[in-house]
Amino acid sequence: MLAMMKRNLLLYFRNWSGVFFSLMGALISFVLYLVFLKQNMQSSWAHVPHATLLLDTWLIGGTLAITGITTTLTSLSQMVIDREKHITADLILTDAGPLRLQLSYLLSAALIGTLMQLAMFGIMLGYFFLADHLTVTVVQLVNVLGLMVSSSLLATAVNAVIIKGVRTLDSLSKLGAIVGTAAGFLVGTYVPIGILPTFAQTLVKLTPGSYVAALFRQFLMYDWLDVAFRHSPATRPRFEKLMGIRLDWFGLLTQHATYHIIGLIFVGALLLAVGPIGLRQRQQWRRRHES
Amino acid sequence: MLLEAKQLTQTFGSHVAVNGLNLQIARGSFTALLGPNGAGKSTTMNLLIGLTQPTAGQVIYGDEARIGVVFQSSVLDERLTVGENLQIRARQYRHVAPNKVAEVSTELGLNEFIHQRYGTLSGGQKRRVDIARALLNDPNILFLDEPTTGLDIQTRSAIWKLLQRLQQACQLTIVLTTHYLDEADAADNVYVIDQGKLVATGTATAIKARYAKAVLQLTTRDVEQLRERVTVRPTQCRGNQLTFTVPNSQVALDILTATRDLITTFEFRPGTMDDAFLALTGKEMR
Repeated sequence: MLAMMKRNLLLYFRNWSGVFFSLMGALISFVLYLVFLKQNMQSSWAHVPHATLLLDTWLIGGTLAITGITTTLTSLSQMVIDREKHITADLILTDAGPLRLQLSYLLSAALIGTLMQLAMFGIMLGYFFLADHLTVTVVQLVNVLGLMVSSSLLATAVNAVIIKGVRTLDSLSKLGAIVGTAAGFLVGTYVPIGILPTFAQTLVKLTPGSYVAALFRQFLMYDWLDVAFRHSPATRPRFEKLMGIRLDWFGLLTQHATYHIIGLIFVGALLLAVGPIGLRQRQQWRRRHES
Repeated sequence: MLLEAKQLTQTFGSHVAVNGLNLQIARGSFTALLGPNGAGKSTTMNLLIGLTQPTAGQVIYGDEARIGVVFQSSVLDERLTVGENLQIRARQYRHVAPNKVAEVSTELGLNEFIHQRYGTLSGGQKRRVDIARALLNDPNILFLDEPTTGLDIQTRSAIWKLLQRLQQACQLTIVLTTHYLDEADAADNVYVIDQGKLVATGTATAIKARYAKAVLQLTTRDVEQLRERVTVRPTQCRGNQLTFTVPNSQVALDILTATRDLITTFEFRPGTMDDAFLALTGKEMR
């Protein structure tokens, strides 16, 4: 399985244009913010102290969630490529077996997702440090790193379910384009969730990535929020709801509840992605041992 | 028998791809599956290697059959080097010795381009790497699906020699599909398949003797007189040239002796695998 993971990692990182395009969604969100949105949003939040730093960290949170989604999808594409080029047939005939094969795709995608989030985090933090003197504490860093792993595990599992129905590379690239474009909106990164119409807000809440984005924002923004809303704590929930720092399910979700939701989606998606293969393998094993 | 297929049948919807095929493959033998495009060769191959389950019938393997497969299309990664490709595949097996990759690379002469990316290799080099990959788990039966398609004649014969060497040196059982009929000449056993059915089986020599007619072409000074002397009707008569199809060289010799004084030149061509194949599968394109 380690050899297969090495293969998937090599294939992902040797394809430079692939790496670049898998970051496209995240880069668009970053650049879009810098070029078009930052100034506009800053002026509307001018009365809030540390508005710039709040917005910077808000953007980082959403962009990391997008990165997790798009890079794991690109990595999982290898599964479709292998299926289409009959490489899967060759691999199935080895001693590895279908379940281990599937897990190696998932684990390498999760690893790639984490690494690419780390890279994007480095790029954005570096830029905002130079531009706005943004810094993060060690606690924040540890929390964010942990969340990157959860984020990419979740994105991997969800994408693996989506990709199940994809048989050809052609439809895969179309799916990739849709996911890359839609992710920014669905995670609530291009536009804050609070200013969207109700239906769109529901869509955002149905997107697993938006919970990841919310947690990233909590970890990165809470220190600044504590300062910014010291004198008017009553308005803070309104701000958190508007910016998608906490999502609203009959009341704002706590950090714990958000983590639970992520965990449940992860387990559900993983069962859908791997379960059928595991069952089939067990049946075959049983049949072989009975005969 | 190392491998036996009994009444092997595979249908896709209403299309019958393989229809009640019986095959017997002896240990250490060289078997060629021959057939025109769409005859069901690749489907048969997939059934034999266990990649697909037959609709009916069964594939029975002898004890300790270890399978190696060279697929029709390339299954190695273009962006990885030859060495990386082989190392990664080797680690997918439980009992492959650590030096196995080095061993097969030397055996098949891959060392020259072992650090080169697979995607940059020529067709013949790629094929050799594909075969090396298939040998990683020490198979005793090697399947090759059209291993020489699209290769130039030099590479084809090199690959062919390599396979024969492997068969002899390692007691390897080889099963391959091809539509290059001359290649079947070297096989111990040939199965000619058409529309999923077995239409002929035996050694290439036996199949040729049975289904391929020899051709005798005579150029004569006197067409009329020659026609009178020969009891066999010519298949073609063009100017002063007559063409006969004869079952064997003895009949040709009889004709030549009887008409010796009338002949200016003659040409005799024994029946080829091509003739047998066309006789068996018909002349229309698929």
